[in-house]
Amino acid sequence: MSLSSYNIMKNKIILLLLIISNLTIQSCIDGEQYDNTPQGNFEQLWTTIDEHYCFFDYKNINWDSIHTVFSKKIETSMSNKDLFDVLSDMLYTLKDGHVNLISSYQCSYYDAWYQDYPHNFDEDIVNDDYLGKASTDYYTTSGIKYKIFDDNIGYMRYESFANDVGNGNLDEILEYLAICNGLIIDVRDNSGGTITNATKIAQRFTNEKLLIGYIEHKTGTGHNNFSSPTAINLKPSNSVRWQKKVVVLTNRRCFSATNYFVNTMRYLANVTILGDTTGGGSGLPFSSELPNGWTVRFSSSPILDADKNQIEFGIEPDIKIDLSTGDTMNHLDTMIETARKLLNK
Amino acid sequence: MKRNNFLERLIGEFLFLFLLIPQQIQAQTDTVKTNRYIMRTMMYGIGTSNIYDSYLSPQNYKGIDFRISREAMRFTKRGKGKVSSQNFLQANFSYTHNRANNNNTISGLINWNYGYHHQFPISENFKLLAGGLLDMNGGFVYNLQNTNNPASARAFINMDVSGMAIWHFKIKQYSFVLRYQLNIPVIGIMFSPQYDESYYEIFTLGNTSNIIKLTSPYNQPSLRQMLSLDAPIGHSRIRFSYLADMEQSRINNIKTHTYSHVFMVGIVRSLYLIHSKRGKPLPPSLRVY
Repeated sequence: MSLSSYNIMKNKIILLLLIISNLTIQSCIDGEQYDNTPQGNFEQLWTTIDEHYCFFDYKNINWDSIHTVFSKKIETSMSNKDLFDVLSDMLYTLKDGHVNLISSYQCSYYDAWYQDYPHNFDEDIVNDDYLGKASTDYYTTSGIKYKIFDDNIGYMRYESFANDVGNGNLDEILEYLAICNGLIIDVRDNSGGTITNATKIAQRFTNEKLLIGYIEHKTGTGHNNFSSPTAINLKPSNSVRWQKKVVVLTNRRCFSATNYFVNTMRYLANVTILGDTTGGGSGLPFSSELPNGWTVRFSSSPILDADKNQIEFGIEPDIKIDLSTGDTMNHLDTMIETARKLLNK
Repeated sequence: MKRNNFLERLIGEFLFLFLLIPQQIQAQTDTVKTNRYIMRTMMYGIGTSNIYDSYLSPQNYKGIDFRISREAMRFTKRGKGKVSSQNFLQANFSYTHNRANNNNTISGLINWNYGYHHQFPISENFKLLAGGLLDMNGGFVYNLQNTNNPASARAFINMDVSGMAIWHFKIKQYSFVLRYQLNIPVIGIMFSPQYDESYYEIFTLGNTSNIIKLTSPYNQPSLRQMLSLDAPIGHSRIRFSYLADMEQSRINNIKTHTYSHVFMVGIVRSLYLIHSKRGKPLPPSLRVY
């Protein structure tokens, strides 16, 4: 290489490095940093929900008009508690139990999805008259209480899908209940947890791979920017699987992962859903935060049923039944009694 | 040439050792080969970090950054002996806080660069280096309060253009080396979930579409630059460095940045390999173990 071409090449390399470094330095990537003021926190919350919430169209919510209404309630001198109340009220317009605003002293929680309906569950009756004493009358593992009723019907009470379930635990439960004529799975008042636990249990009740739903996610800030739905399949467990009839008991307080579990179980051949419509909550929630550090949780990825219908507002049972006042007076649970008759037919 | 004086002194010390080596291997090691001279540095640093990841939070998180790095440079036989290789491995751990100081993130990244530079001597004491590096990265950012989106994985591979300037100078009888290096990714691939896609959907349901994206300075305008000074202290050469690690991305509508400014210190070791893959090993009496 001659000296002149050597210098030309050297200069070109230096020039190239300078141009690229200049381009790099000039393009900073950052998000808009709102002020930590009532206005700044309001705008951050409204924008986060605007860009990430997934049910605007399904619920026919005009989020721009919500901004107009609630921005007038924001004042520079308002206290943190007043700000929290206004922001919570704004979030309640989403009618979503997965939407929370969380500060160090309060967590907002939309609860009309169950408060306006019959409870359909009496914990005292179930505990005292059906389960009995924990020391002698029933077993508990992984948060699942289980026993065999006198009429040879198995009963599983699962209070929270947040309690992790192990495959070994499920083997033990199902082997113990194997002699039963049928099985009741009581998930009333179960407000959710993790989908993984719901799937792990449901896998024990199918012998074949089944399509049980779809999931979408947002691909951008627009209200309608969604991915094409991804199929959710239930694969049978490689371990002990239940082959007899099952009744799943539901009420309005079955929410989130429990709603997912009920949606999964209703596609299985030997399973009957009995009770009240579930509470819904089909949006997989994400978290974000405000300039003042308050956390906001919101639905970001809708889970659909196998026909691509929304299940955000709940799943109707195969057999709709409420607790009767007469049964309750006689320490009977109408849903459990109906399920026992159904399984013993 | 001052640098070569230093080199010759070091190499001379090694040659002195060679006199002790039996005659049969002297014949193979009697010529100093520049590609066997290695500059190796282990450095430890502390600095600041500014982390932003819109998948986790719209807020910037700022805090402390701990870093460790290991670097080796040597000449190769390529380009008539004017091409050097650089092997640079660094790992960092950051603990950062939001503006309200009521939530934290922890993050870590392992970065490995390997590549070659062509050396262009400008004067006896000053030279420019230009070349390219393979730039591999793996790490995470973990937000301690989030629920279904608690963490963001970092995985990206780039081809970098790299430039370096090295200046040898003396103050009184003490010799110093000042170096500036700039690495800029020009093309690569990066893992990223889609905008609001959960890791459950990716890894449990297996929806892997659009999670590996091609990157360029348009969607990943990043750079790493380092300014270092090698100074003689006692019988050692100590390296003091300032490292600016500016990583940014705008992939699948998710914006991220990690701006780290780290001061590092370590000992420079100059080695001369006397056992290459093709050569014979030292006799056991001269080995360290």
